[in-house]
Amino acid sequence: MDWGKIKFFLGEVLRNFTRNASMQITAVGTVAVTVALLGAFLYVRASVAHLGSDMLSQITASVYMNTDASAAQVEAVRTALAKDARIDKAQFVSKAEGLKELRARMKGQIDLSILTENPLPDMFRVRTRQPQEVPAVAHALAKMKGVHEVDYQRDIVARLLQIAELGRKAGIAVIAVFIVVAGIIIFNTIRLTVFARRREISIMQLVGATNMYIRMPFICEGLLDGLLGAAVALGILALAHASLAPKLAAALPWLQMNIVQVDLSSMVLELLSVGGAVGLIASWISVGRYLRT
Amino acid sequence: MISLRGVTLVYPNGVRAIDGIDLEIAKGDFVFLVGHSGTGKSSLLRLLYREMMPTTGVITVDGIRVDRLRRGRIPALRRHLGVVFQDFKLLTDKTVWENVAFALQVTGTNTKEIVRQVPRCLDMVGLSHKSRMYPDELSGGEQQRTAIARAIVNNPKLLLCDEPTGNLDPQNTTEIMELLGRINLKGTTVVVATHNQAVVDRMRRRVVRLEDGRIITDEERGYYFLGLGQDQVLSG
Repeated sequence: MDWGKIKFFLGEVLRNFTRNASMQITAVGTVAVTVALLGAFLYVRASVAHLGSDMLSQITASVYMNTDASAAQVEAVRTALAKDARIDKAQFVSKAEGLKELRARMKGQIDLSILTENPLPDMFRVRTRQPQEVPAVAHALAKMKGVHEVDYQRDIVARLLQIAELGRKAGIAVIAVFIVVAGIIIFNTIRLTVFARRREISIMQLVGATNMYIRMPFICEGLLDGLLGAAVALGILALAHASLAPKLAAALPWLQMNIVQVDLSSMVLELLSVGGAVGLIASWISVGRYLRT
Repeated sequence: MISLRGVTLVYPNGVRAIDGIDLEIAKGDFVFLVGHSGTGKSSLLRLLYREMMPTTGVITVDGIRVDRLRRGRIPALRRHLGVVFQDFKLLTDKTVWENVAFALQVTGTNTKEIVRQVPRCLDMVGLSHKSRMYPDELSGGEQQRTAIARAIVNNPKLLLCDEPTGNLDPQNTTEIMELLGRINLKGTTVVVATHNQAVVDRMRRRVVRLEDGRIITDEERGYYFLGLGQDQVLSG
């Protein structure tokens, strides 16, 4: 590759790109909208995912002992909890502490001084490392001697896990649709430039240019469409982030932490590579179809 | 240089464009293909530069089995031959110089070689002084000379011309034919499909006459119409 060849090649790409200016603007614009939607979606999804995992991580199992459970039985449960690798944290709440907590919680609502004796059992508050492990852990604990019942908000856990899974699947589907739409538009844009240059292509073929050589400028054009579109989308997203995030944080204080946790630099890379890859693949197929016929 | 054995070409619509042709063209030959429109002259040329694949038969061009040539190897064949058409097939947004250089650029030739070869070819076709002009600013004859310069810039061993003078006046026709003659003198094999009687009769070269996709005569020094010359040799 000498400088003359590079200049010729870049000239071809630039000429392609500027010849159908309106079509290129359409392609870049559509990719921009698509990537912006994708980015907004990823952004919201990342926030919601954080929110969901925050909620999930707060799920605990309450292990209630029988009121007449022996000290040995309580000790056995405590040992079992300490040994179990799945368990992140286990806090023992004695009868007396339980009553104190209850009193504090019910203050001003119910006068608990009417109680002559403590009706509460000893209990453990157990948090697992993975929220999905709560049901299995609870099930095992319930079988131990002296354990009356294990309560772990069964429905909430199941529901939350379900929602998280559904959100993940819906997200993948939506992203797939966005990518296909962007791909089709770039595909058509390249097809139009190929069509506009079919005379030139036939002459190239006539004088012995390889298909790879003919393909290159169009591939670069598609890549350029994708990358430019993604760049425009990132600009829009950055503006939206800068202007909306503080307001959102003020309106929904519990979201603030989650927004901050979204990894913006990796998202920039992701969106640029999605734009570029879509442009590359769509134009590759588009020219390939023409060259084969 | 060129050898065809039992070649037929049947189009998808059932038309037999080439119907059993055997033909040998030696290196350095100058051959006219004559015949009415639709007798297979263009189809025969298309088979030679692998625009078309023969339905049956064996085609060899410069040692390459064209009838077996894989799609990916077509560029290698095309770099060994030049093709000239009635409608010139020039790029209107490129200058004369750029049009000729284009053939070298797309085959990855380095700039030094391009700068050496293009002026040589423009000089040969007599267009050095118009190298910066665009095809629209040229006469038909000049456009065709540009196309010929592009066809020979690769130093091909074979030049295929499909009605090269079909759009030209007699003066330009004569000049183009003289140019093709000069290219032939430098050792390039030239095959010209034409229905220009004056050209064929004046040049007195080998004339292969086609009718309905078959060769009906093959004369060493022929005329456009059969029976005008005394030295004709009928062939198979």
